[in-house]
Amino acid sequence: METSNQLRPGERLFALLLVLVAGFVFAEAHAISGFRGLTTGGVMPMLAAGVMLLSSLLILADTLRKPRNGSGIQALIAYLLPLRVVLFAGLVTVYAALIPGLGFLAASGAFLFVAIWGLWRRGPVLAAALSTLSILAIYLLFRVVFQVVLPLGSLWQTGKLWS
Amino acid sequence: MMETLGFFATSWLDPGLLFLTAVGTLAGIYVGAIPGLSVTMATSILISFTFKWDVNEALALIAGVYVGGVYGGARTAILLNIPGAPSAIATALDGYPLAKKGLAGEAIGLSTVMSVIGGLIGVLALALAAPLIADFAIKFTSRDYMLLGIIGILLVGTLSGESFAKGAFAGALGVMIGMIGLDPMTAEARFTYGSINLMGGIPFVVAMIGFFGVAEALVQLEHVARTPIKQAVTRIVPSWPDVRRYLVLGLKSSGLGTLIGALPGTGGDIAALLAYDQAKRSTKNPEVPFGEGAKEGLIAPETANNAAVGGAFVPMLTLGIPGDAVTAIIIGALFIHGLKPGPLLLTDTPHLFWFIVGNLTLANLFLLVFGLTGIRIFTKVVECPRAILIPLIVVLSAVGAYAIQNNPIHITWALAFGVVGYLLKRYGFQVGPVILGVILGPLIDANYRRAMIGAREDVGQFFTDLISHPISLVLSCTLIFMLVTQLPFYKRRRR
Repeated sequence: METSNQLRPGERLFALLLVLVAGFVFAEAHAISGFRGLTTGGVMPMLAAGVMLLSSLLILADTLRKPRNGSGIQALIAYLLPLRVVLFAGLVTVYAALIPGLGFLAASGAFLFVAIWGLWRRGPVLAAALSTLSILAIYLLFRVVFQVVLPLGSLWQTGKLWS
Repeated sequence: MMETLGFFATSWLDPGLLFLTAVGTLAGIYVGAIPGLSVTMATSILISFTFKWDVNEALALIAGVYVGGVYGGARTAILLNIPGAPSAIATALDGYPLAKKGLAGEAIGLSTVMSVIGGLIGVLALALAAPLIADFAIKFTSRDYMLLGIIGILLVGTLSGESFAKGAFAGALGVMIGMIGLDPMTAEARFTYGSINLMGGIPFVVAMIGFFGVAEALVQLEHVARTPIKQAVTRIVPSWPDVRRYLVLGLKSSGLGTLIGALPGTGGDIAALLAYDQAKRSTKNPEVPFGEGAKEGLIAPETANNAAVGGAFVPMLTLGIPGDAVTAIIIGALFIHGLKPGPLLLTDTPHLFWFIVGNLTLANLFLLVFGLTGIRIFTKVVECPRAILIPLIVVLSAVGAYAIQNNPIHITWALAFGVVGYLLKRYGFQVGPVILGVILGPLIDANYRRAMIGAREDVGQFFTDLISHPISLVLSCTLIFMLVTQLPFYKRRRR
């Protein structure tokens, strides 16, 4: 089991990224109302960004204290971005992009089919059956029972995939 | 008195509410048990569908899921050695060895009965303690709420993560997300970048779904190929001598669990681990050594984690500070329904308080029924491969994020929060403080500004106020103590 005493692959880089993000957020928070007063809308964002900046610096210092584990870019990719995660995240992105055009049910059905087929590896027929069943259950539960108006999709309304 | 009883029995007498509580408890058992699904994930998704419902209906379902979910994790811990929820980690230590000895049914039965006892004691504590705390909390001022909010976030960050700095960063990140949108006091734009979608702020449910649902799905991809182990399950209903024998331990662990659950930032997982440790220290001659199938090691964490449920409601309902991640979500549900958890909740809406007490009691009784039945179907369901569950979680997260305002952009946001949550989790950050920050950030902001206006924008007066009023002084000292105990020199001295 990993503990906080072991340096994870890419942990220093991530800590540095946090410092940069916190610095950027602090600058943006300052831009809201500067130091004009103690009760302006920018005070709390600046305080929160200040905590982010300070804590990220502490996190960075902590990672610098830990011994290097000699892991390179390959270890980082294996740890943080294994092929399965990258492909799945890509698939999720495509899914999110397709919802406005294809509609929720069609996009979700396609996503479930590809994802289950790819992850489960029991063949396309089983994946298709499972995704169809899941979509049917989701439709009944959310559209019929919870009465959520699911996005219909521009393709079915205007004939265009991208509106 | 009769009126209170009437409020208490609302969900017992209404067939619809009775049904929703039963469904919630049953669903919660499965949600808690299936590795990859979590109660926080389920409740955050549920809120997005139930926000249009009557508040009692929404709470009946969510409370059922909460009670069932905390218990459900024990079943997979016993049967598969995979704790379905963090609160069942300690349960696996002796539950799984019991199952390997062919006593899986007995272990499940005993854990069910003890969970119910723990759950009922937690609810009793809620009923007795909450009115007293609420009476006291009426005296709280803006600066006290500000301090309470900060303490709540820091406690979650300190107790649930691997370092204080990481907890503080996560909490501050959450506050930052909570600040996005137009400032409610001055209508100044904060981090909106001219986007109309950002002006109304980011609904915390969207952040919750992203950080708990999508992020967890991405983390679970690592274990997608893991196949569960199968166990034979025989007799489930425990024998009366067994129940009687372990009753004292169950009562002690319930008390501990309730107390731990009532501390903001802790929850069933910490309560269970502490109760396990306590049982290990206090049991002089266990029949079987701890770690090899000691029934004491099964009972202590199970009673404690269910007792923590009632405890977690105490600070949430009386102070508006959630006791754990799930009550943080439930507090959000109350906000959505126009209710304001805090000391006035008990005086303004006593029906709601007693409804929650009655409903949690009912959910515990349903837990007894569902916990002792349907094991065969259960073992089939929990064997559902993660390869099917993970895509389903993503789809449920997408529909949940969309349903809150029927806005497709929220799906993208939830997925983006999921990626951020995944990165944070991979590097040892907890996402609980982020969500608490999103919820409590606006509360801290508003109360800080009220307190500062009260001090006429004089920094000296502001800090004087923090130490010159008894309640503020106690809270300020607590906050300072929390910060000091995180300093390196203090930690070195403790070692």
